Amino acid sequence: MRKIRLGAGSGWAPSDPMLALELVEKGQVDYLGFDQLAELTMAVLQITKARDPKRGYVWQHIIDGMKLILPPAHKKGMRIITNGGGVNCEEAANQVLSIAKEKGLTDLKVGIVRGDDVLNKLEDCRKKGWKFNNLDTGEEDIDRIRDRIVSAHAYIGSDGIIGALGEGANVVITGRVSDNALFVAPIMHEFGWKFEEPYWDLIGAAVTVGHIIECASWCCGQNSVLWEKVPKPWAIGYPMAEFYEDGTAIITKVPGTGGMVNEWTVKEQLVYEVHDPRNYVMPDGIADMTTLTLEDLGDDRVRVANMTGKPRPDTLKVQIGYSDGFIAENLTIIGAPKALSKAKRMEEVGWERLKQMGLKRENLEVRIDYIGINSLLGPVVPIPDEDSINEIGFRVAAKAKTAAEAQMIVSAFAVLTGTPVGVGFSAPRQPRPVIALWPTLIPREEVLIDFVVREVS
Amino acid sequence: MPKVLLRELAYTRSGDKGDISNVGILAFDKANFEILRRQVTPQKVKEHYRDLVKGEVEVYEMPNINALQVVMHNALGGGATKTLRWDETGKSMCLAMLYMEIEVPDGSKLAEPP
Repeated sequence: MRKIRLGAGSGWAPSDPMLALELVEKGQVDYLGFDQLAELTMAVLQITKARDPKRGYVWQHIIDGMKLILPPAHKKGMRIITNGGGVNCEEAANQVLSIAKEKGLTDLKVGIVRGDDVLNKLEDCRKKGWKFNNLDTGEEDIDRIRDRIVSAHAYIGSDGIIGALGEGANVVITGRVSDNALFVAPIMHEFGWKFEEPYWDLIGAAVTVGHIIECASWCCGQNSVLWEKVPKPWAIGYPMAEFYEDGTAIITKVPGTGGMVNEWTVKEQLVYEVHDPRNYVMPDGIADMTTLTLEDLGDDRVRVANMTGKPRPDTLKVQIGYSDGFIAENLTIIGAPKALSKAKRMEEVGWERLKQMGLKRENLEVRIDYIGINSLLGPVVPIPDEDSINEIGFRVAAKAKTAAEAQMIVSAFAVLTGTPVGVGFSAPRQPRPVIALWPTLIPREEVLIDFVVREVS
Repeated sequence: MPKVLLRELAYTRSGDKGDISNVGILAFDKANFEILRRQVTPQKVKEHYRDLVKGEVEVYEMPNINALQVVMHNALGGGATKTLRWDETGKSMCLAMLYMEIEVPDGSKLAEPP
């Protein structure tokens, strides 16, 4: 039976290109997928591009990463698919082509996928009566944030990547595609599947397998509940999937590396960031994860079978990024004895000081954490006896319309304003601008996906 | 019936999408899954997480892998890019789940963690 071998070269940015290089050298894969984008990344890249039109792609990956990976990958005939183009795939492609030229890879072709940027579609859609309902809050439309919008990107599927692969691209650069499209696309390209019956179960399988490996080492024992049992986590290997034409797959990792792949590491990635497991809605298809079976074959190999799916949805998810003020924060460390009492006093000092400035607590966005006591699990776990506490990190974070205002609120809680004895502090962090996200949907037909393929000049 | 903490029955891992936190619960075996699917209800999750979770809770079942998927809305301070939480993406939300009290039948022998 025909099979295709896929490797995941990153699952976030910035990523370590040395781990991807190991995949190229020892992995024997046909395609390398590089996921570089998280929810925030696109908005940050948009701001970077606004300052410098030549930027807006994931610089470290496109420049440093490709210099290292491109020559050996191309020599071995591996094709690369990356979403590191961010909001400037054209310029990222120029950089990759110039690296190819510099390295003597004169026959290299680079595909560019376009269409995920829907910023200039929003008003058109609204005129046609479409409402950009906020999927998190239920708010009906974007009127409240309209004049603060900085970016809008649709999660597009495999269409453009498949097109570019069909035209012989060795490297395909995209912006905001769904993470799993980096793997669904080569599978569909190799096996000639179409977005129609009878392929939906097979595409569901491709989406599911893409989901398992898209976060790279997160299915190989990273961020794992089995962290105490993970061998050589400092040399963790990246995952590979052998995907068969019948819609089954074997998940494994680069041989000779640390980490591990077993039933549990695959399961923990399967449930990761999935909501309704019967309907994992992705642009290429809806995966049903409640039918699949796992078989631990040993030696870091897990077989996944009986995966199913449903037709792709008529809408695509969009993240609209908008400016939403500034966050300032500060951390001081309070020592024993009576660390908890001192933390409470510091908090009291801050609130009283804000009151003196005429600011009302209920109008402010402030969060106080006692690190070591309640910063992660909050009220779920009991507060320990004060005598058993050696130290507490006192963290204050505030969000306000301006950087100065956010900093002023935080400073009210900081040292030098009447705090108890023996509080350790260091240089404060600068306030940072906030790009809030508005998750919503757009009709698929409004998102025009196309691609071009360029050659080394 | 005696009570144990959920961590004696299952592993957990959490992730984020916007302001939604999800916790996958991986039961050690079928018997544990059957115990958990009856007791890990949206209402119980909401009570357990107290003010960590301000919105609705949904619980989905994956009997094929003995897993539950808990989806908690309005749980991450507005989402990773604007939250005041230190743990912006709620990676630690799965740990809180481990402390949920679960009733187990008298005299039942629980599976060892794999």
